[in-house]
Amino acid sequence: MNLSMLEFLLQQAWQSIRRNGLMSLATSSNMTVALIILSSFFLATINLEHMADVEARKANITVDLTEDADPGKVEAALLGDQRVASTDYRTEDETLRDVAETLGLDYETLKTTLENPLPASIRVTPKNPQDVPAIAEAAENIEGVAKVKYRQQITEKLLTLARGIKIAGIVAAVLMGLATLLIVSTTIRLTIYARRREVRIMQLVGATDWFIRLPFILEGAFHGIMGGALSTVLVLASYSYTHMYVQQHLEFLALIYNTTFMVLFGLGTLLCGVLFGAAGSWIGLRTYLRHV
Amino acid sequence: MIHMEGVSVVYPDGTRALSGVDLQVDRGEFCFIVGASGSGKSTLLQLLYRELVPTEGRVIIAGQDVAGLPRSRVPMLRRNVGVVFQDFRLLPDKNVWENVAFALDVVGASRREKFRKVPLALELVGLGEKESSLPNQLSGGERQRVSIARALVNNPSILLADEPTGNLDPDISWEIMQLLTNIAERGTTVLCATHDRIIVDGMRKRVVSLVGGTIVRDARGGGGYDEP
Repeated sequence: MNLSMLEFLLQQAWQSIRRNGLMSLATSSNMTVALIILSSFFLATINLEHMADVEARKANITVDLTEDADPGKVEAALLGDQRVASTDYRTEDETLRDVAETLGLDYETLKTTLENPLPASIRVTPKNPQDVPAIAEAAENIEGVAKVKYRQQITEKLLTLARGIKIAGIVAAVLMGLATLLIVSTTIRLTIYARRREVRIMQLVGATDWFIRLPFILEGAFHGIMGGALSTVLVLASYSYTHMYVQQHLEFLALIYNTTFMVLFGLGTLLCGVLFGAAGSWIGLRTYLRHV
Repeated sequence: MIHMEGVSVVYPDGTRALSGVDLQVDRGEFCFIVGASGSGKSTLLQLLYRELVPTEGRVIIAGQDVAGLPRSRVPMLRRNVGVVFQDFRLLPDKNVWENVAFALDVVGASRREKFRKVPLALELVGLGEKESSLPNQLSGGERQRVSIARALVNNPSILLADEPTGNLDPDISWEIMQLLTNIAERGTTVLCATHDRIIVDGMRKRVVSLVGGTIVRDARGGGGYDEP
């Protein structure tokens, strides 16, 4: 492809966008709405997964030791399990401090008012939160282990929730994606209809199918860029506002919020828009071009 | 240049548009295809620019079997076969120069190539002065000249004209026919489908007559609409 060919293709695409101004506006708006829904779902999914992950990571296993246990040996045995990420030995006093912290009590008061009933323990962090029950079961058989405790139900609930959200997100993405493709392909079909005379002449004077298709695909991609840019601005603005609100009122929720994430999110949305636009055009062309 | 052998075309609804057509047209020859409406003139031309494929038989252009041509090669064929229609098929929002250059744009010609070829084509059809006029500012004859220039700008070896004078006054029709004759004399094979009796009788060129999709007469040495 040479420069004058590219110039001609871009000119054709731009002419068509301008000539069908209202239709172009409608398509770009449709694309914006579709991308807002898609990207909001993506943000919700990825954040809930992130939260579930943060919560799940807190759900570690506590292994209480018997009085005569050799902590070094128990730790070594625990670390021998491939599923274990790390272990942390806590003396009796440290265990008490942990409990005091969890319950919001003052450690010093607690320590002086009663004799520490708690045994020394080892905190086990799994590589994968899903392995918690299995690791716990294996730990029970290690010599020197008195009792194994873990928050199984919470972990499992969070993981189930994360999985559910992911599936719902994928289903929504597929449905919205299909709807967007349908909208774009219909617009492009109307554009081809409006330009059928020109397309017909192009075919008669020997333009290749690709050459005829490219301006329409560029047009679809243009709608994608417009929709992508607008939806990114709108979604990121509301996301920033949500983040601000969460920080002030619901600080225990961990939202993902950093520049790299925002930039990647914007680029991803634009890319999605371009791909949807181009693919929609392609579908519109495939079903229509032969009949022109 | 053009070789048709036992060509039949049957439309999906069962209508038989052509049957057993054999036709040979040489390089630089001028040939009328005559017949009443529905006799198969347009169908015959459509086979030559691969708008249609024959149901039976072979259509060979410059040694190449057109019927067996894959879809992706059809554009290459069409760059070698110019087509002119009764309704001119010009783009109303492009001026004369742009309408002719359009045929070069879509085949990826460079700017320099366009500036070389478009004036030559416009000169050939006698429209050098009107290059910036829009189609609606031109007479019917002038519009047909623009469409001929567009068909010729890629230097095709064949020019097909489907009722080129159908919308034109008799005087203007003569001028267009004269132009087509000149084009044939320059080495381009010209096939002209028409039912304009006066034109055909006056030109004394080769006449192929179609009746109900069959060639009933081929006046190779030149003839009138009806008589050899």
